[in-house]
Amino acid sequence: MNLSMKRMQAILVKDYKEFSRNLAVSSTILVPLVIALFYSRMGIDTIQVHFMAINMTFSLVATYIQCCLIAEEKEKNTLRNLMLSPATIPEILIGKSMLTFIITILILTGSILLTGYNPGNTLIMIIAFLLSSIFYITIGTLLGLIAKTVMESSVIVMPVFFLFSIGPFASAFVEKYPVLKVIEWLPSTQLINLAESLENNFKVGDLVQPFGLISLWIIIVMILTVIVYNKRMKDDI
Amino acid sequence: MGEVIKVNHLQKKFKSEYALQDVSFEIEKGEIFGFLGPSGSGKTTTIKILTGQLSPTNGDVKVFKQDISFLKSPEARQRLGILSDNSGLYDRLTIEENLDLYRKIYNLKENSVKKSLEFVNLYSDRKKHINKLSKGMRQRVLLARTILHQPDLLFLDEPTSALDPVNKFHIYEGLRRLNAEGTTVFLTTHDMAEADTLCNRIAFLNNGKICAIGTPKELKKQYADDTLTVELKNGQQETISKGATDANKMFDWMQKNLVERVSTNEPSLGEIFVQVTGRKLV
Ligand SMILES: Nc1ncnc2c1ncn2[C@@H]1O[C@H](COP(=O)(O)OP(=O)(O)O)[C@@H](O)[C@H]1O
Ligand SMILES: [Mg+2]
Repeated sequence: MNLSMKRMQAILVKDYKEFSRNLAVSSTILVPLVIALFYSRMGIDTIQVHFMAINMTFSLVATYIQCCLIAEEKEKNTLRNLMLSPATIPEILIGKSMLTFIITILILTGSILLTGYNPGNTLIMIIAFLLSSIFYITIGTLLGLIAKTVMESSVIVMPVFFLFSIGPFASAFVEKYPVLKVIEWLPSTQLINLAESLENNFKVGDLVQPFGLISLWIIIVMILTVIVYNKRMKDDI
Repeated sequence: MGEVIKVNHLQKKFKSEYALQDVSFEIEKGEIFGFLGPSGSGKTTTIKILTGQLSPTNGDVKVFKQDISFLKSPEARQRLGILSDNSGLYDRLTIEENLDLYRKIYNLKENSVKKSLEFVNLYSDRKKHINKLSKGMRQRVLLARTILHQPDLLFLDEPTSALDPVNKFHIYEGLRRLNAEGTTVFLTTHDMAEADTLCNRIAFLNNGKICAIGTPKELKKQYADDTLTVELKNGQQETISKGATDANKMFDWMQKNLVERVSTNEPSLGEIFVQVTGRKLV
């Protein structure tokens, strides 16, 4: 595959200018930081609490912002012009994800510093965070392609927020409601499980399930995204 | 020989309705080709098929002598310019920033933005934000972006519908210049005067069928009636046949030195359209 860095960078620069002039959306990056600050003041130091702020960053920054960026291009009929340019599908989709990726990493680092989370194994956790960022951004792209307007983005992101960010905390009720077993398979739950196993003496085998599942989620969502993208390209909008 | 577009018995069906029933035409390199028809006649659908945004239901379409699958390639995209009827701009960016994105996507030199903006008479406004512009100005920015890479083949879907006469005039001038530099233009419009001044060749589209095609001159000749209008010096106006039957009348007037003006009775394109389709063009 032949990716033009110049094209992707051009989209990144354009997105940055638009984003910085759109306070309604860009101000949401503060929410996870405020929550992280709040928890750090309370002085609780458990994995569950650290991951409250971390998962919030993923759904409010990675997914929501990405969804808005894509939905706005659709609403304003600019996405179609990009599709009709010489830029390829990967160039457009990667280019359109770069700004959100950078912001996600920055805010994630900020929240972790604020809550004082110190992972059992930093390198492994960094890789897991990078993979998770890709997952949540791709979900955002998918939802943005489905949403018709920017207004709709805020609504359509809610289920993701509840499922992925709040979901893992419902695992406490699994005994009572066996349906909740599916929560085990969510990438956010897997991330927390990974973090917990890293706290103790972990074996390489402990890494297989979380990394395998998160990667599987990424592949599934990416395939869905490309399918929806191609449909949008064909469809008369 | 030098054909850029060749369409043979093209049909397009949406669900159960045919938007295009039978469309055939060719466009040669260097032409400004006008596609005229009332709204709903299938102009946009044709452009979408010719630019790879819709697949035809039936028929044969060649662009740049290649099958339409070629239209999806970056090489084809580099040679095409497409201004659709609902193209958008980035509202929070300036005119220049909007074009700069596309300059990088098309991998063009820095001065292409300036050249393109001068073309639509907007260079001095380049620092203005899109959300501060009038509809006509936005339309010109869109055109500037569409021609930024000097495409070989330019599709314009009703490009002047939002413009006042002065701006229309600017755009016509610009399009003629671009055409002189080698760009073939495919233009849809429902403005007969526009087609008449701008296009080398015209096709009339009605209900998804081409009902007449030719140069404006040919069409007018074809549908002209065989009469002349003679204005006499005494203010009288007479309509006579071009043929031998009225030759004596003419001879008589000329001998008496009565003739002020003689004109052929060419129909306007709008009148031809009504004649061909029995339908007014709106
Ligand atoms: N995506 C679509 N689905 C169904 N019908 C369509 C679609 N696009 C266009 N049409 C129909 O096809 C016909 C031609 O439309 P169009 O090409 O947009 O006409 P024009 O551009 O000449 O105004 C219209 O009757 C329109 O309703
Ligand atoms: Mg149309």
